[in-house]
Amino acid sequence: MNEGEGVRRLVLGLVSVTSVTVAWESAARYGLVDPLFLPPPTEVLATAVDLLRHGYRGSPLWVHVGLSLGRALVAFVAAVIVGIPLGVMIGISPIFAGLIDPFVQFLRPLPKLALIPLVILWFGIGEFSKVFLIFLSASLSIVVGAAAAVANVRRQQIRAGKVLGAHGFALFRHVMLPQMAPELFVAVRLSLGIGWTTLIAAEMIAADAGLGWMAVNASAYLRTDIVMLGIVLLGLTGYVLDLAIVGLQRWVTPWAGRS
Amino acid sequence: MVAPLIELQSVSKCFRAQRTRQETWAIRDVSLNIGEGEFLCLLGPSGCGKSTILDMLAGFEGPTEGRILIAGEPVGRPGPDRGVVFQDASLFPWLSVIDNVTFAPRLSGVAPSTYRAQALELIEKMGLGGFENHAPYELSGGMRQRVAIARAWISNPRILLMDEPFGALDAQTRLEMQETLLAARGQAVSTVLFVTHDIEEALFLADRVAVMSRRPGRITLDIPIPFPRPRCYEALIADPAFSRLKQDIVRILRQEIVARRETDRA
Repeated sequence: MNEGEGVRRLVLGLVSVTSVTVAWESAARYGLVDPLFLPPPTEVLATAVDLLRHGYRGSPLWVHVGLSLGRALVAFVAAVIVGIPLGVMIGISPIFAGLIDPFVQFLRPLPKLALIPLVILWFGIGEFSKVFLIFLSASLSIVVGAAAAVANVRRQQIRAGKVLGAHGFALFRHVMLPQMAPELFVAVRLSLGIGWTTLIAAEMIAADAGLGWMAVNASAYLRTDIVMLGIVLLGLTGYVLDLAIVGLQRWVTPWAGRS
Repeated sequence: MVAPLIELQSVSKCFRAQRTRQETWAIRDVSLNIGEGEFLCLLGPSGCGKSTILDMLAGFEGPTEGRILIAGEPVGRPGPDRGVVFQDASLFPWLSVIDNVTFAPRLSGVAPSTYRAQALELIEKMGLGGFENHAPYELSGGMRQRVAIARAWISNPRILLMDEPFGALDAQTRLEMQETLLAARGQAVSTVLFVTHDIEEALFLADRVAVMSRRPGRITLDIPIPFPRPRCYEALIADPAFSRLKQDIVRILRQEIVARRETDRA
């Protein structure tokens, strides 16, 4: 993407977001929809200011954001550390793939909500259970992506590496891994979305703070403005995390898509 | 008489399709010797198995039947003693030009001082001076192929295997590359096996041309190319001996196609 294209996309994005926000505000203000169902953006903003000052259920807003972000990040780092080597091993060794793949394929499409009762039984209702649930969904998707990345390493590059004296681990480290890197980033990026989605499920496990918990808890009291704020913040934080990954990808693998 | 550096003794190679289990003989009963320091062009139509021969010499594949010896020994695993240049440069896109060129010596763990000067000299000789810190995707196809040649050359391989290295380049760039290759080879006499389907390229470069038939590949003609070196392309194409050789090879390749059609019909 060249610079002009980037600027154009940014402008288009701003135009579309502004229009939707204005439409949303007008709809509520001119009585087209009941503010209980769709509180206008100005009210959500006011709620945000209020929660920043006074907090929600004993915790300031930034604690809710920070807690959710912390849980997700710890889970992601663990998912990357566990998921990439596991996926790579599945990709490299057909025997290992045969042994492990059935479990991965069984667990991956499983709605993680279904695991909540078991996770509570096994690990209790503490932080670990929440992080574990996010970790599970994120790492499974990384495993699948990493295994696919191995399969997509070009035979010609392997041959080029071998003929230059790279065998065994050196071949993996200096030829296969860098070639897989762009695809591994895609896998991590996708898993970030999936893991972030699992956050609400994770925070339903007897939490007393966190963005997901805040939204679910506020709905019980018909505080639609707080529900809305929670949703907006969940979406924005997910968006920022995604941008961070894309930025990291551009920095670490600048050759991706150009060779 | 000194034993040839490369010996193919009645080599056949059969590939089995993974799904259908159907067998295809890529080459059948090929015997070929290449002497130390010789520049041999293997010429033939697409799919005649010439790349298969190169793959077996590189150590990527083993023969189904027959023996392949290099300096009297069976071919070992791939390594920098047999440099390979592929049709697509197959550079590592995450490495700069200099890091691509120095890949093999860096891997072997010797001190950078021992190869860095040589690498820069090689890059200069290949006409890439000033580009050592560029990324492969910033280079043209011809320049990428120059990097690939330098990368194979830096280990001073006894044998250089080239698999249609200029096949994807335009005619002008190809000629330029052929001239660079001959000039860079100069006195550093390494043995070269050069696979191509371009008759003029073979005649311009080689000491000897071996023509292969369609699949299953056999060697149908094996002739020395007598033109003295250094060769000049313009003078060469004006030489009647060049035209005669070219006609002979064209005739052989044509007969081959006619014969093939007849056997197909029968």
